[in-house]
Amino acid sequence: MTNLIKRKKAETRFQLYGIFAVSLSLLFVLTLIVNIFSSGVGGFYKTSFLMEIYFDQKLLKLEDSPSSEQIEDASFRKLISHNFKENFSQYSKDEIKQIKKLFYRKIDKETQSYLLKNPEYLNQKVELLFTASTDIDQIHKGNFNRNIPEKQRSINNFQLGIYDQFIETGKVKKVFNKRYFTSGDSRDPESAGVASSVMGSVFTILICFLLSFPIAIFASIYLEEFAKSGKVTDLIEININNLAAVPSIIFGLLGLGILLNFFGLPRSTSLVGGMVLSFMTLPTIIVACRSSLRAVPPSIREGALALGATKNQVVFHHVLPLAMPGTLTGTIIGLARAVGETAPLLMIGMVAFIMNVPNTPLEPAVGMPAQIYLWSESAERGFIEKTSSAIILLLIFLIVVNFVSVYFRKKYEKKW
Amino acid sequence: MVNAITTENVNVFYGDKQAINNISLNFLKNKVTALIGPSGCGKSTFLRCLNRMNDVIEICRVEGKISINDQDIYKDQIEVEQLREKVGMVFQKPNPFPKSIYDNVAYGPRIHGFTDKKNEMDEIVATALKKAGLFEEVKDRLDDLGTSLSGGQQQRLCIARAIAVKPEVILMDEPCSALDPIATSIIEELITELKESYTIIIVTHSMQQAARVSDKTAFFHLGNLIEEGDTTKIFTKPDNQKTNDYITGRFG
Repeated sequence: MTNLIKRKKAETRFQLYGIFAVSLSLLFVLTLIVNIFSSGVGGFYKTSFLMEIYFDQKLLKLEDSPSSEQIEDASFRKLISHNFKENFSQYSKDEIKQIKKLFYRKIDKETQSYLLKNPEYLNQKVELLFTASTDIDQIHKGNFNRNIPEKQRSINNFQLGIYDQFIETGKVKKVFNKRYFTSGDSRDPESAGVASSVMGSVFTILICFLLSFPIAIFASIYLEEFAKSGKVTDLIEININNLAAVPSIIFGLLGLGILLNFFGLPRSTSLVGGMVLSFMTLPTIIVACRSSLRAVPPSIREGALALGATKNQVVFHHVLPLAMPGTLTGTIIGLARAVGETAPLLMIGMVAFIMNVPNTPLEPAVGMPAQIYLWSESAERGFIEKTSSAIILLLIFLIVVNFVSVYFRKKYEKKW
Repeated sequence: MVNAITTENVNVFYGDKQAINNISLNFLKNKVTALIGPSGCGKSTFLRCLNRMNDVIEICRVEGKISINDQDIYKDQIEVEQLREKVGMVFQKPNPFPKSIYDNVAYGPRIHGFTDKKNEMDEIVATALKKAGLFEEVKDRLDDLGTSLSGGQQQRLCIARAIAVKPEVILMDEPCSALDPIATSIIEELITELKESYTIIIVTHSMQQAARVSDKTAFFHLGNLIEEGDTTKIFTKPDNQKTNDYITGRFG
């Protein structure tokens, strides 16, 4: 009897350890998510100021109803300074200069794009939204303490006064930061976006999948179903298993040495990035695919063989479809690892300052993890937020990829 | 009496180990031959030689002559796929493909290119299912998974699958060992019906089953063929003492 009580107690104790372990890991995950989201969600928004602009035809040196090209060629500098003078006429020249610093320094380009979209604004007075400078943006979002001594901040007391005045008159708006999703990297936090790195990651993963998935499946089928067991097969098997454990930067070196230096493929491109990552993903998928092939009951193979099916037919009609869900799981794991990989991409130059959004895998690109790394190194305060936002996007990207593949796996399983 | 399959001096080796010792045994056309014997006596190995299923096992080596219609099946004049079209097989554990009942039966005819027409294929499937005595039970749910059937039904589906390829010989490797008595009796009745059109060779552990369904019986022991002959004779007055001991349950 006492023995039973002891045994039961041991069970209770073990369950408590388990609950403790699970709660601890949940706590870590929650801390991570809360931390990233609290600092990153702000990056999807930006602070903007409402300001009246008079699109003076003379100051822009434009004809009546100008073409888009003419607007693009026009300089908006004069127009902007004139408007600032008008709007803040009670302030001195030096003060106006300081007020101007509350706005994003490329306010002339913003004004230009407004006119490009709405040519009817010409010779009209319109109230438009202009992006605030990153310093004031950070203050507005509460990421920066405005109460520290004036000398230690880039925004002086006069500028803060103007900002407070803007708030009182309802001129400050928090708007969705569309540019964050549509533009590439930039030196200015105000206009830096993830589009180039997202496209870079998409192309890289696509290339990686297209290369590694079929190669891995054919290699697995050959090794598992056709190859005669022997020393050579054993050697290949050991090597594949070892490859799965090779540090990823080694694959980067391989890519640098062979793909870039020997074959002379273009540096910094998603094509090479995808190829390097597929070196890395291949062993993972092969191991998963082989074990799923092995898990298909031999009775299915025998049943098909006994009907007079060739070995090839047995594999493609029966064994492979049954091994597909397991293979897909391995593929997801491999690709998810590849999406988050930075080290091999460092070696082939996919950590560059890329302003243009790549349209093909042959253009220089940067992956999302590398972009996160680059931003985290930047000095400007605004980039901290951008970094967290990019991490959120990367996590969402991974979750979406996971859900899509789980969906396909389920669909496949149902059919069978 | 015509022989469907003749075997001469068959030896089978697994690596260095000899599993079958010099067996010569003939199988009569449209008769049921039962192979009996204790576990590990080589009866399944011998059965699997007849449609070359042992080819799958890398270390397995078959010597001797096995002929179907005077064609040596281990010579190059016949492809193994052609052989298996002629010699179907039903396994110990029902192994329907995880596909629909229809696709299970249609798979063999499809890969051998019997027909491209949907209605002809429907006919082949229906005929095979009828012969296997399964049609009435499944005719309304041909799209259901073959694996969703009961054990006995699955085994009859496997028989239908084998029949659909229009074989001459059907090999059965303990077809009822995973089934309950009712399903077993259905399969046994089926075997009796099927011998009208096919030569059947059945490996079984159940002496009663061998006595019930077979016309000829061969007794195997330790890779040797001890005795063969008419079932009634083997079970009533066997020549060999070992056979007598086995059928009376003294060993095995």
